[in-house]
Amino acid sequence: MAVTRPLSVFETYQRSIKGSKLDEKEWDYKVIPQNATSMKEKYRLHFGKEFIPTDNSTKERLFLAGLEMLVMTGIYNADTHRVVKVTEEEVRECLKKAPRSLIMGSGKDAADFSARKGNSKKKPVIQGGPTGAPVSEEMFIPLIQSFAQEAMVDTIVSGVMQTIDGMTVQTNTPWEIKATQAEIRAIREACRRAGRPGMGI
Amino acid sequence: MIAGWLNQGNIIMVEQMPIFGGYTGGLEETAICDVATTLASFTLLNGSFHLDGPIHIRWGITTARETLQVAGHAAAAIDAHSDLLLANQYYPIAGPCTEMCLLETAAQAMVDTASGRELLSGSAAAKGVATDSTTGMEARIMGEAAIATAGLKVDDVNQLVDTLVKTYETGYAKAPTGKTFQECYDVKMVYPTKEYMEIYDRAVAKMKNIGIPLA
Repeated sequence: MAVTRPLSVFETYQRSIKGSKLDEKEWDYKVIPQNATSMKEKYRLHFGKEFIPTDNSTKERLFLAGLEMLVMTGIYNADTHRVVKVTEEEVRECLKKAPRSLIMGSGKDAADFSARKGNSKKKPVIQGGPTGAPVSEEMFIPLIQSFAQEAMVDTIVSGVMQTIDGMTVQTNTPWEIKATQAEIRAIREACRRAGRPGMGI
Repeated sequence: MIAGWLNQGNIIMVEQMPIFGGYTGGLEETAICDVATTLASFTLLNGSFHLDGPIHIRWGITTARETLQVAGHAAAAIDAHSDLLLANQYYPIAGPCTEMCLLETAAQAMVDTASGRELLSGSAAAKGVATDSTTGMEARIMGEAAIATAGLKVDDVNQLVDTLVKTYETGYAKAPTGKTFQECYDVKMVYPTKEYMEIYDRAVAKMKNIGIPLA
């Protein structure tokens, strides 16, 4: 795991209750669009037709624009209606201490999730699955197995099991917990059936 | 919840999907906000990796030309200035067992791979809203396209993706919803139907004709 970051989630929470108050509509319709436009102008960003920038200057100006956008604007906590601020030093220090490599899964099925640089020859990790799309309870195991058995797939991302024991799963009810546990059990079973019991999920 | 997961030593994935055409604005503004929120996920939430997903406000997909541009620029900018672990997720408009779905998925895999992302997560075909409308075949093309792209010159990838996107971007309004898993797989054997295999082969042939070096 990564080393301790300069800003803990506890400090983030403290800033979420002590930051300046702001109406959500003001944030959505005024602060974000105005600041994003000012960053675009300041850093002279114009993408043209490229999907991926090929010049280092565009990459640098976009990175600096995003960094300044975060430091200048902060992040809005919609629960507390307050703005969470962060300094450039804190951001840069956190970037240094974020993980550069993770292992997902175990044994022969473990996937190496580590930094690539540019369009490296190293293949990215392929995480196969419904990515949050709804899946019926009846089809859950074979549908996930269809991903787990693909040679290209390294790890699994789940879908949303629509019912549990035939009951509709509603948020903020005990059914949510039961469905989550059932999903995990079903994914594990699907991976076992595909002969890849150690796949990361 | 993050506090608890961190104390358990879990990997923390922070997900965020900037909306192109929403209140963040156009291409560049959305990419700026994408970079900002990606950095925030590592700074404020102690993320281990970030799951992106720039989405088109009109079509609700990640495979549109504009959302691919946002994702490609944001990833390349962050990749050039850090070793952060970056991922992206897939929401094509077309459903399984259609050529369009496979072409869309491949286009995004090419952009994600060439812009330096470390993990591709998908795919939620048919915009991720229809029940049982995802299958392993979409992940197969995602992986095949990623392998074919890794190591190519970014200039070349830009041109190939431009040609590929042109093959499907005029079809959003009448995009095929495709088939459910039950309809395009033998559920008992968990094997794609002959129809889906043929559609897959046609999509691969089309991409090879464009010049994409699929195996």
